[in-house]
Amino acid sequence: MTETKESGVIRRKNAFGTKMQLAETVFRFSSNRRNLRNLRLTNSEFKISGMTSNQIITKSLLTDGTVRAAIPILLLLGLVILIGALQPSFLTVDTLLVVMADTATLFILAAGITFVVMLGGIDLSIQAVASLSSVIVAVSLSRFGYWAFPATLLVGFITGAFSGGVHVWLRIPSFIVTLATSGLVAAAALLLSQERSITIGESGRVYLNWITGRPFGIPSVILIGALVACVGIWLQRYTPFGRYSTAIGAGEAATWASGVKVNRQKVIAYSLSAGLASLAGILLAGRLSSGSPTLANELLLPAIAAVVVGGTSITGGAGGIGRTVVGALIISVVRVGMTFVGVDIFAQQIVFGVVLILAVAVTIDRTKILIVK
Amino acid sequence: MLSVEHVSKAFAGVQALDDVNVEIGVNEVVGLVGENGAGKSTLMRILAGVYSPDRGSLKLDGAPVFLRSPRDANLNGIGIVFQEQSLLVNLTVGENIYLGQEAEFTRLGLIDRRRLNAAARRQLDKVEVDIDPRTRTSELSFAARQMVELAKALALEERTERHLVILLDEPTSVLEQRDIDILFARVRALKRRASFVFVSHRLDEILELSDRIYVMKDGRVVGHMEAGSTSVPQLHQMMVGRDRHAEYYRESRQQSPKEEIVLEARGLSVKGAYQAVDFTLHKGEVLGIAGVVGSGREELTRTLFGFVPQTGGTLKIDGHAVRLTAPSQAADQGVGYIPRERRTEGLVLSLPIAVNMTLSSLPVGRIMGAISLSRERQLAKRWVDKLRIRTPTVEALCLNLSGGNQQKVVLAKWMNARAHILIFDHPTRGLDVGAKEEVYELIRDLSEEGVAIVLTADTLEETIGLCHSILVMRDGQVTARFDASPGRKPSQVDLIRHMV
Repeated sequence: MTETKESGVIRRKNAFGTKMQLAETVFRFSSNRRNLRNLRLTNSEFKISGMTSNQIITKSLLTDGTVRAAIPILLLLGLVILIGALQPSFLTVDTLLVVMADTATLFILAAGITFVVMLGGIDLSIQAVASLSSVIVAVSLSRFGYWAFPATLLVGFITGAFSGGVHVWLRIPSFIVTLATSGLVAAAALLLSQERSITIGESGRVYLNWITGRPFGIPSVILIGALVACVGIWLQRYTPFGRYSTAIGAGEAATWASGVKVNRQKVIAYSLSAGLASLAGILLAGRLSSGSPTLANELLLPAIAAVVVGGTSITGGAGGIGRTVVGALIISVVRVGMTFVGVDIFAQQIVFGVVLILAVAVTIDRTKILIVK
Repeated sequence: MLSVEHVSKAFAGVQALDDVNVEIGVNEVVGLVGENGAGKSTLMRILAGVYSPDRGSLKLDGAPVFLRSPRDANLNGIGIVFQEQSLLVNLTVGENIYLGQEAEFTRLGLIDRRRLNAAARRQLDKVEVDIDPRTRTSELSFAARQMVELAKALALEERTERHLVILLDEPTSVLEQRDIDILFARVRALKRRASFVFVSHRLDEILELSDRIYVMKDGRVVGHMEAGSTSVPQLHQMMVGRDRHAEYYRESRQQSPKEEIVLEARGLSVKGAYQAVDFTLHKGEVLGIAGVVGSGREELTRTLFGFVPQTGGTLKIDGHAVRLTAPSQAADQGVGYIPRERRTEGLVLSLPIAVNMTLSSLPVGRIMGAISLSRERQLAKRWVDKLRIRTPTVEALCLNLSGGNQQKVVLAKWMNARAHILIFDHPTRGLDVGAKEEVYELIRDLSEEGVAIVLTADTLEETIGLCHSILVMRDGQVTARFDASPGRKPSQVDLIRHMV
C-alpha cells in the first residue's frame, strides 16, 4: 500500500465575519482511492478544528487510520514468524496449506457473520445452522446424491430469512432472535439425527470429492474459501446491498431517511449469514465424512472473534470480508500456536473469549453508543 | 446575586452566545425571550452546569463560580425545571424528588422509605399540591408532573446555604391555561424563597410573570428592561431586530409557480395530530407551513415523506393517489426530505461525501447491477462544484464538514436522485448567517428549476420571505392560508393571529 501526502490550509469565516480559524490539515490517500474502506479510515484524520480557539489539530499516530487498518495484518505476520521461529517446520508449504484448509470453514462462518455485523447486528445461530446442515447432508446424501447440497443450503437460507424476518418485522434485537433460532435449529438437528453422529456411508462419499479433493495440489476447501471471499468482497464493495449495509451500520436513521429499504437489506444479510453457515456445515461434514448435531458448537466464539480481530467494528459500518480473511487466519494461527504450546483444546475457548473482549475493546467506536447495555 | 458576565459559547463554528451579560437579583423573576436559535437554551444550560462557557464567567454574590456539572449547579443553589420533563416515570414521586440524594435516607445500605416520603411530602407542600409521594409518576398528569419538578428544584433549599435560583425552561409549552395560571400563582408565592429565570415563547406570559426582561437575538442580549415599561409589540420588534430585509431572502428572484400540480392533499389526516388538511402544491412553488409546537405541522411534514402514515384523506403525487408508509416509498415517488436532525437523519456522518450523495440513487452499471465507483466520484465532484461545497475531496467524511456544507450534501443527495418535490424541515437550524443565506439561494435555484418545495422554517420571517403561499395551522387544523407573492407578503402579526 503506497501513500502520498498532501497538506492544505483551510480558512473559514465565522458568523460574524471575524477570521477565526486556521486549521492545518494533513491528509493522506491510499493509492487505491476506490477502496471505500480504506478511504473511510485514511480520511478520518482530516479535521477542520473547532471554531472557538486557534488550536491546531495535529494527528497522532494512534488515531491514524492507515496504521490502525494495518494492525491485523502485522499481527498475523508477527504470529506466523514467531511460530516459524520456534518450529521451523511450520513454515513449509504443506503445513501452511493444512492451516489454511483448517481456516476455510471458520472463515466461511465468520464471513457470514460479517454481513450481519456490518449493519450493526449479530448472528448467534450459525453454529447450530452449520451442525444441522452437516446432519442433513449425512442423512440425505446417499439417497439424493448431489441434490442434497442445494437442499441443505436452501434450509440454511430459510433459517436466516426467518431470523432476519422476525428481527425486522417484530422489532426484536438480533441477538435474542438468533439465540432463539439457534435453539430451534439445534433441536431440529438433534431430532433429525436421533441424537447421534451419523457417518456418511461408502455410497455417499462419492459425492464428497469436490470437498475432499486436491486440485493442483491445493485442498479444495481453500479454493471454496477463496471463492467465498471474492464473492463476499464483491458483494460488499460493488453492490447496492453492500453499500446499504455499510450505511445502515454507520447511520441507520439517515439511511432509512434516504429512502433505502433497510429491512430488506437486513433480511438479505441474515440469509447470507445462515446460508454461509450451512455451506460451512456441508464442508465440515465432507471433511469428517459424518454429520453431528453438535459438530460446530465450538465454532461460534472463534468465528465472532475472527470478525472483530480482523477489524470489523462490532457496532457496524466499518470493516468487511477482506478483513475477516485476516481475522480468521489470525485465529487459526493462534489455535495452531496454542496446540503447539500444549494448551488443551477446550481451554482454547478461554483464549478466544479473552481475545474477543480485547479486540472489541480496541476497535469499538464509543462515540457511537452513549450507553452500553 | 447571580450574574453572567461576558459569556460566549460556540458549537461547531456557530456562535451560540456572544458576550452575554445577565444579572439575576434576589427574589426576582427574570424573563428571557428570543426567537429559536437566539441562545436562550444555551444560556440556560450554562446556568444549569450542562455546558461550560468558552469565555466569560458566572459569579455568585460577586465571587466567580465554575459549574462543572448539573450537580455543581445544584450545590450552588441552581435548579432547573426542564422543557422536556426530566422525571423518571417508572419511579414514585418521592424517589424522583430525591433521585441521586438517597444517601441522606440510607441506613445500612437500605433506603428508609418512610423518611424519604416524609421529606418529599414537605417539598410538595411548598408548591401546595396534594400528591402522595408514593404515587408512581406515570400516573400523574403532565401539569402535576411539572409541579413535582418544581418541588424537586425546591428540595435544593435543604442542601445548600445559597439562595435558590430556579430555571424554568419553557414550562408552559405543554400546559393548559388553567394549569398555567396555577403554575404562575405558585411561582409568585415562591418568590420569597427563590429567584426564577423564566423562558417562554409566549411574550404575554413573560410580561405577566417577570419583573425584568432580557431580549436575546443571534446569541446576544439586545435589550433589557423592566416588565412594566414594555409591551408585546416592542419586545417583538427587539426579538426580530431589524425590519425584514427583502433581499435577505432573495425575494426579487421569486417567480410565480407553474400551472402543473405535483402534490395535492384532500382531507389529509393523522389521528391525534392533525385533521382535514387540504392544499395543492404546484411545480416551482414554495409552500410554507406555519404553526407552533403541537399544531400538527411537524407531523404533516413527516407524513409527506412517509414517516407518519396518513390515517385519512387522500394524497396525490403527480395526480396519482398514494399512501406513504415508509420513506422509501416517498423517495420512489420522487420526494426528497431535508431533515431537521441533519446529523442523524440527514447524513451518515462517518461515511464520505460521495457515498452520502449517492445514497438515494446509486449509480449502478450494466454489469450485474454493480455500483460504478468512477461514475459515483464524477457525480459527487459535479455536485461539490455546483453547490460550492467547501471540501478538499469528495472522499472527506461528512463529520468534518461545517453545518452549511453538510446541508448542501443532503441537498445534493436529493438533487442527484432527481427529486421533484422537496420537504425542507427546518433547513437552516443550527447554521450561521452566511450558510443560511446560501440555503435561501439554493431554495430559489430549485424553485426556478421547477422543484416544488414544502417548507417548515425556524422563524416566521423565513417562512414569509421564502414562500409563495403559506398554510397556518393550530391544534391540528388549518386556520388560514396566505398568498405570499412579492409585494403581497403577509406580516408576522397576520400569521401569529392564526397560530395562537
